Amino acid sequence: MEYKVKIDAFEGPLDLLLHLIKKMEIDIYDIQVAEITEQYLNFIHEMKELQLDIASEYLVMAATLIEMKSRMLLPKPEPLMPDGDEVEWEEDIDPREALIQRLIEYKQYKQVAEWLKEKEERQLLFYTKPPSDLSGYEKPREIQLTGVSLYDMLAAFRHLLQKKQWDKPLHTKIQRQEIPIGERMNDILKQLKGKREPIPFDDLFLYPNRTHIVVTFLALLELMKKRAVTCVQHRNFEQILVYSADERFGEV
Amino acid sequence: MKNEQAIVEALLYVSGEDGVTLEQLTEVLNMPEEHVLGVIENLKKALQNEARGLMITEVAGRYQLVTKKEMATYIERLIKAPRPATLSQAALETLAVIAYKQPVSRAEIEEVRGVKSEKALSTLMSKGLIKEVGRAEGTGRAILYGVTEAFLTHFGLKSLNELPEFSDRLDESSMEETDLFYEKFQQTVLEL
Repeated sequence: MEYKVKIDAFEGPLDLLLHLIKKMEIDIYDIQVAEITEQYLNFIHEMKELQLDIASEYLVMAATLIEMKSRMLLPKPEPLMPDGDEVEWEEDIDPREALIQRLIEYKQYKQVAEWLKEKEERQLLFYTKPPSDLSGYEKPREIQLTGVSLYDMLAAFRHLLQKKQWDKPLHTKIQRQEIPIGERMNDILKQLKGKREPIPFDDLFLYPNRTHIVVTFLALLELMKKRAVTCVQHRNFEQILVYSADERFGEV
Repeated sequence: MKNEQAIVEALLYVSGEDGVTLEQLTEVLNMPEEHVLGVIENLKKALQNEARGLMITEVAGRYQLVTKKEMATYIERLIKAPRPATLSQAALETLAVIAYKQPVSRAEIEEVRGVKSEKALSTLMSKGLIKEVGRAEGTGRAILYGVTEAFLTHFGLKSLNELPEFSDRLDESSMEETDLFYEKFQQTVLEL
């Protein structure tokens, strides 16, 4: 029969050590390394017997404890100077110091976690509601552009391109769209018919579609060649105006 | 005076969990701040009446209208659902470290806790309780984490100053839960 015990009750080797220290009723500032190492290893062995997976962190701590224990067992070297000069030895530093500091720090965070848990449970008793939907009342706001850098704009643009890429269907069929030039020529003449006023060049290009634009342009050139329309531009870069040339050319 | 209390109550109702700041109330009521504080105080007192089910709380610098905690049982009966799940011990510990040490990297958090904290971090990120606040200098440019305003709301804190101060005297009460486990554990071992 296999026993499955949850190791989840401990949040790691530090948590386990704190527990052992409390269990052994010893002062956290004066840990008996030999004793705690033994207790710790006992626990690890028990876990092993229960066929629990032991996280590597627990084994690292075991190694640290053993190292500390052996270091404390080593005899301190005799001072080299027999006259009794005061020489500070590295070994005078308590090897437990670092571990004690870590344990104390961890314990404090553990207490804060406990405090947060209480707060969370209390907060769950208060119910609130999502804000009422007032979007219908909102006035269109001016877009604030302060604090926006060039990089923000670039990032937004890249994001947009990426979104477009995602929106693209995975498979597409490209269909050739055929607009006969003759048809466009008739359309243009119809647009001009019975108008004494010229129409601006831009007004002929109604759809932002490449085929449509090209065919319209070719149709216009064709109409000019046939002298069905006249195009006038008064000054450089000014709008080109398209005049109906003659009623005789009503139909092509 | 009564009238202004009604206005504040209505504003709090409409803003729901988003809450209203003192500045917003001051602007809408067009009154000096001390005056608005007085109105809020009076409304709080009026709501203390046992015949009322709502109360005002102050969370993350905003006033919220919430149900009194005595109402929780009845609300749960109405929606026929248990309370939402609370955060795990690992997530709470990780959050505690971030709240005190922010901006802090994953490595620093793991150093304090002595265990891997990747999963806890991703849980906290997905719940919006922490966010990336920058990158560490030096090799690797590790992500630095900090808590969000949602952190304050989740735990009902007015500000980070409300977090308990670290004391030198260690309190033993938090260890009880683990002790219970350990006794059971030893029993199990003995039975083997």
